Amino acid sequence: MLRTVKPKNARSKRALEAREPKEVEGPRTALFVKGTHTGDVVNNAMKDLMALKRPDAIAFSKKNPVHPFDDAASLEFWAQKNDASMFLIGQSTKKRPNGLVFARMFDYKVLDMCEVGVENFVGMGSFKGPKSTPGHTPALHFASDLFDTHPRLAHLKSLLLSFFAAPSVDALHLPGLEHVISVSLGPTPLSTSTTPEDDVAHLPKVHLRTYAISQTPSGTRTPLITLRPMGPHMDLTLRRAVPPSSNPHLLNLAMKRPKLVKKEVEKGLGKKRKNVEVDEMGDVRGRIHVGAQELGALKGKRVKALRDGEEESEEGESDGEEERPQRKRRR
Amino acid sequence: MDVSDILASNAATQKLTAVEKEIPLQVDAGLLTVTDLNPVDKESYDANTEDYLLSTARDGVQTLFAALAAFPTVSSPYGALTQLPPPTTELPRAKPLPKPKPPTKWEQFAKAKGIQKKRKDRKVWDEEKQDWVNRWGRDGKNKEGEDAWLSEVKQGADVDHDPAQELRTARKARVAKNERQQLQNNARAQGSSQAPEREQRKMEIDRTLATTRVSTASMGRFDRQLDGEKKIRGVKRKFEPNERSVEEEKKNSLSIISKLESDTKRAKKEKGGGDDVVNVRKAIRNASGGKGSAALSRGSSGKGKGTKGKGKR
Repeated sequence: MLRTVKPKNARSKRALEAREPKEVEGPRTALFVKGTHTGDVVNNAMKDLMALKRPDAIAFSKKNPVHPFDDAASLEFWAQKNDASMFLIGQSTKKRPNGLVFARMFDYKVLDMCEVGVENFVGMGSFKGPKSTPGHTPALHFASDLFDTHPRLAHLKSLLLSFFAAPSVDALHLPGLEHVISVSLGPTPLSTSTTPEDDVAHLPKVHLRTYAISQTPSGTRTPLITLRPMGPHMDLTLRRAVPPSSNPHLLNLAMKRPKLVKKEVEKGLGKKRKNVEVDEMGDVRGRIHVGAQELGALKGKRVKALRDGEEESEEGESDGEEERPQRKRRR
Repeated sequence: MDVSDILASNAATQKLTAVEKEIPLQVDAGLLTVTDLNPVDKESYDANTEDYLLSTARDGVQTLFAALAAFPTVSSPYGALTQLPPPTTELPRAKPLPKPKPPTKWEQFAKAKGIQKKRKDRKVWDEEKQDWVNRWGRDGKNKEGEDAWLSEVKQGADVDHDPAQELRTARKARVAKNERQQLQNNARAQGSSQAPEREQRKMEIDRTLATTRVSTASMGRFDRQLDGEKKIRGVKRKFEPNERSVEEEKKNSLSIISKLESDTKRAKKEKGGGDDVVNVRKAIRNASGGKGSAALSRGSSGKGKGTKGKGKR
């Protein structure tokens, strides 16, 4: 546990304030950590993923004896020290060659982890053509029905989304959408529904591909899209995992949403619009405030039948009318 | 002029921009993510994997762009910016939600009284100068009278009475008071989280005091009592109900047994495995009538010079 520091000057105070929790969070900072042994494949894979993740990425240059599934203490320490909330740990062992571990943190504690093995790695350098600008948000593409149905793959999708997606982007310059990270699966074997969750050997391979997007005008509002391989390309096999459901308390806290934002969303793109709201059916409902109606000044039709004893009734009514508005004013 | 070729090519590109799939693709525009839930076409996948992956990805991105084109845009110096809706996919947060700031004492009071916050302008109208002046700061309204070249002195005032200085000290005192209140508010805000620690310290002190009170030779019986000193309360006995569930009973018995075991182990460790049937110290005390082992050895061997050294065990 790091000691808590009290800021002594304005700069350190600003730096500490930047670390404080925010209602709407920006992209997660990822730490790239190498284990005791990393092969060529893992090194290159981490380098290329780092190029995609930049500038929200910090790489450790030295090797570290880290075993995230046995002891996550050092992850928690690094997360706090660097204010990072994602980890990519590369390690290659005899038992688990070319492994990458994606770890997601909440409040500097490990929320969930997923280990994948890298195969058929093709780096960015092997593809000709321009690469995406560092810092540009990628589009993400997931293709398979298993991403919705199989818990392990849904978990992987969630982790990759946390890793690459930028949730705080509220406006986008469309020509700036330069690359897409596509995650697709091989053909679904018939037995996935019957095999238990942890049996990952029967799951199809995960293909992670990165393509550069080129847009040409098509005559409609939507441009015509063509893709060109940009790299990195790799095939992933699922290995060990710590699902987020393993610590439900943390997950509960992590899934809490600020109330204010939800209200703003319902009222339409974050703008404050008075007296207009969208109800459960999606209908826009407005409220109109009508000014005070002066019933005393109202002139009805004088009917012949009421003319008899006009004076009496008028006196009585006028008394009542004088009193009523006064009472209102007092309230 | 024949435009049929152009029209045909246009129609072809428009066909390419429209993606039709069995299950329509899910687009989360806030995260720029598209999910294709259609099952993988095994034939084309096996024939050429890379081409198949590229074509599905293209379809996905095309759908994403079609969805993005539907959102409103705002102009900017760099071109049109598409306004994105908030993400629909719920991802875990990186940090907990920020805690609301505890209200200051004034805010609590204002809420209770229903006082609305009024923003004060930085400038106030000065009737004498017929101009707007700063409320505070340089030539501020709050310093009015401090630099007056002439001020009225009341009848019977002190010789060293300085009206300007008095106004200044009063202003400084107001500032100091505000600062003090700010500090108090901060302390109160922090205190809400630090209260347990304070309580702990208090309990620790109480415990130490209780220990010292019974740590005299008479266990505090003949000590002078101080005014307002509380009586030490012991632990109240608790009685378990006679009828309990089997599991609870089992747990209780096991805990007793384990305690016994650990006791014997500890005893063995201390004595290095000697027999612990007879408590030697107690036996000596009993045999010697409380006089100790030296007296016992003296008494058994009688009085004499020669035996003095022998009695020692």
